[in-house]
Amino acid sequence: MLKEILKIFKDVRYVGLASLITFIIFSIAVLIPNVRLLIQIIPDLGISLGSKLNLIISLFGSIQTNFTILSASYTIAIAILFGINVVLFLHYIRSQRTGVSKINGAAGIGGLVSGIFGIGCAACGTFILTWVLGFIGAASLISFLPLGGEEFGILGVVLLILSIRMITRKIIKPQTCSV
Amino acid sequence: MENSNQKTSNVMLAGSVVVAGLIIAGAVLFTNGGGGSNQIAQAPSDNQPQQPQPAGSTDAVNPVTDKDHIKGNPDAAVKIVEYSDFECPFCQRFHGTMNKVMDEYGDNGDVAWVFRQFPLEQLHPVKAVAEAVASECAAELGGNDGFWQFTDRMFELTETNNRTNIDVVIPQIAKEIGLDEVAFDECLNSGRYDDHIAADIQNAIDTGGRGTPWSVVIGPDGTTYPLNGAQPYAAVKQLIDLALENK
Repeated sequence: MLKEILKIFKDVRYVGLASLITFIIFSIAVLIPNVRLLIQIIPDLGISLGSKLNLIISLFGSIQTNFTILSASYTIAIAILFGINVVLFLHYIRSQRTGVSKINGAAGIGGLVSGIFGIGCAACGTFILTWVLGFIGAASLISFLPLGGEEFGILGVVLLILSIRMITRKIIKPQTCSV
Repeated sequence: MENSNQKTSNVMLAGSVVVAGLIIAGAVLFTNGGGGSNQIAQAPSDNQPQQPQPAGSTDAVNPVTDKDHIKGNPDAAVKIVEYSDFECPFCQRFHGTMNKVMDEYGDNGDVAWVFRQFPLEQLHPVKAVAEAVASECAAELGGNDGFWQFTDRMFELTETNNRTNIDVVIPQIAKEIGLDEVAFDECLNSGRYDDHIAADIQNAIDTGGRGTPWSVVIGPDGTTYPLNGAQPYAAVKQLIDLALENK
């Protein structure tokens, strides 16, 4: 599987695309708690561009302070795996083979969705999982989860790996007529 | 058939992006923007409304008064109002960050740190509120210094995530900082700070707080900035400097 992925990523455009997607997913995960601050600061003409950029860059440091080691690890992993996942999807489609199965798609979507649920400080109610559970009146359920909601992030990584594995197998598998 | 499968692939790919986008947009909308959601935090008394609340505005922050717990110059150009929970591990981290901020900006009177209560009862039942009450009692008996001594020590000793043995830790701190033990016990059991804590929680929610630590930075011209989570020192410093630009 790894050999096939490395072969595909010899194409610099794929590396660039995967890096861009990884960066976008990672940025969303890290900056989303302070989107209100960014919406307020960025259009403010009274604030210098340098100050705005410095603030945005400094907020990326919250990967160390606003995440547990576990959540930071799977947040980074999800961002990278999702980038790889999308590129493999594209490569498969472009290679003019038959379409990927619904299971592949479901694993990829499930991985990202689950990963997003697990992002950040679920224990403190800062992020998405607590919002979703709060919305259905079940926020206290988080306190019953052994890892305080981080299970969703781990599940996200597993699903994304599963999705990549399935797509890679499809790519490797030669197109033959079965007996 | 092949074309049909390829269309399925494209739909799947587009679908994954759309689903992710919708989730993120929904979360942003409901946690930070408009819309409503049940609050994760509940007040310790029946005064706390349980209905879905609209997302708040930082302009709703209660004015800083001499009844607040303030570290630094009360007339500082920039005031950082922090809503915190003693059982939250990220509040523990942010407490260290804020102490560092005060080391740099406190001495010259540029920044004041205002501490308000935001115990997350649903996540840290009983203990977070008990610790909030204890800190208020420390303020009652030991003044502003007593409050900050208690708070600093509480964040040193808390095991966070509702694992702290409050029956041991709270009396230990009270003894260490020299509070009258009898008066302290009476205060803990009096219930007289329940409404005060409920009001702090409500104000945190009104300003848009949906988790801890939640902070509102008030600039010299009264402009307010939201700061969500345990942001690093560099980010807090950037925001302070940015607010001071309007001095």
